[in-house]
Amino acid sequence: MLTTKNLVKTFEGFRALDGATMTVPQGAVYGLVGPNGAGKSTMIRHLTGVYRQDSGEVLLRGAPVWENPDAKRCIASIGDDWYYFPQASIAEMASVYAGVYPAFSRERYEKMKGVFPLNDRGMIRRMSKGMQKQAAFWLALCCMPEVLILDEPVDGLDPVMRRQVWSLLLDDVSQRGTTVLVSSHNLRELEDVCDHVGIMSRGKVLLERSLSELQDKTVKLQVVYRGEEPSLPPEINVLHRSCVGRVHTYIVRGDREAILHRMASTDPLLLEAIPLTLEEIFIYEMGGEDYAVREIVL
Amino acid sequence: MIRLDYRDSRPIYQQVKDGLRRLVVTGVLAQGDQIPSVRQLATQLAINPNTIARAYAELEAEGFIYSVGGKGTFVAESGGESGAARRRELASQAAELIRELRALGMTQQEWTQLWEGGQADAYNEKSGQDL
Repeated sequence: MLTTKNLVKTFEGFRALDGATMTVPQGAVYGLVGPNGAGKSTMIRHLTGVYRQDSGEVLLRGAPVWENPDAKRCIASIGDDWYYFPQASIAEMASVYAGVYPAFSRERYEKMKGVFPLNDRGMIRRMSKGMQKQAAFWLALCCMPEVLILDEPVDGLDPVMRRQVWSLLLDDVSQRGTTVLVSSHNLRELEDVCDHVGIMSRGKVLLERSLSELQDKTVKLQVVYRGEEPSLPPEINVLHRSCVGRVHTYIVRGDREAILHRMASTDPLLLEAIPLTLEEIFIYEMGGEDYAVREIVL
Repeated sequence: MIRLDYRDSRPIYQQVKDGLRRLVVTGVLAQGDQIPSVRQLATQLAINPNTIARAYAELEAEGFIYSVGGKGTFVAESGGESGAARRRELASQAAELIRELRALGMTQQEWTQLWEGGQADAYNEKSGQDL
């Protein structure tokens, strides 16, 4: 539904996006992750029609987003830096949003008054960073968007508000089938809310899967052998291996049951399959890109 | 009702499944009771509705719950196929526990006490004396 094809963007000779291709299916909650400087925010600014690409396409339901008011009316976004008019209150910004988004819901606006402990008549610039973020959420959800694009959305929110905001967001998703794209470094949190994940690195989308597919198709095996480590069956596709004491840890691609069955033939003392967390998937996939934690002693 | 543990290595849909099963087994949810809708649970737990839908779909395939179009999802009469499959699953987990307990020196007699519902108390008392 929301797609980019071979997106390239250069800033003064630096290729921030280098042929990024991505597909966000309708109704998905898509988590965009990647190391610092991978191009996530640049990608998001293209998706919302803020930047114009050097080449490639950004399409919403097949139509380009750039300078297309019909497409932009369906997209609400909370960027890293939320723009509001310098003297405006939340209520005044709500009127601005209502003028831009035809679907803006006053009913929702009133409903959510009870949720956020904010004075909607007070000036936004006097509010703390976290409170401004709450205000941005409040207004974005009132726009009744078909696509919601969030750049580090819960950054700066306290734990209670984080949960509150995710809960509101997921209520909206299950009620209206909103498509959500969210970039974050908090993989633990993304794991709960996302059903699709895209991993970016150096201006490209490395990998793009549904979360259930990712988790079902990769397993972490912890194996202990009596003696020496035997050679593994050739069908076992090992992505990564490590060994602490007698415990061998393998990251294996493939179906869990089949792998366990195959591994049983190596006669292990202990064999355990543990599903991978998103954080581990991220680390192993990025490991292949030569991006890993370096062991440095200070 | 259902608690998600972030340190648990099980995937979230699995935790939702096990959580619902436990509620039924402990009698918190009786047969024929309505369980929360996908939307309610997604909002309450702040997790993706598709994750919950997956858990529900699998529980339904196992015959644990059933949905009535337009009305909601309900707890099925227990037993049947779902009971047998669950028993196999738990038995294999128990086998592992027993293996470990035996390695730690638990005798069959002590195990029988556990089985008969004397519960771990009897075992604890004894090991307490040992200390």
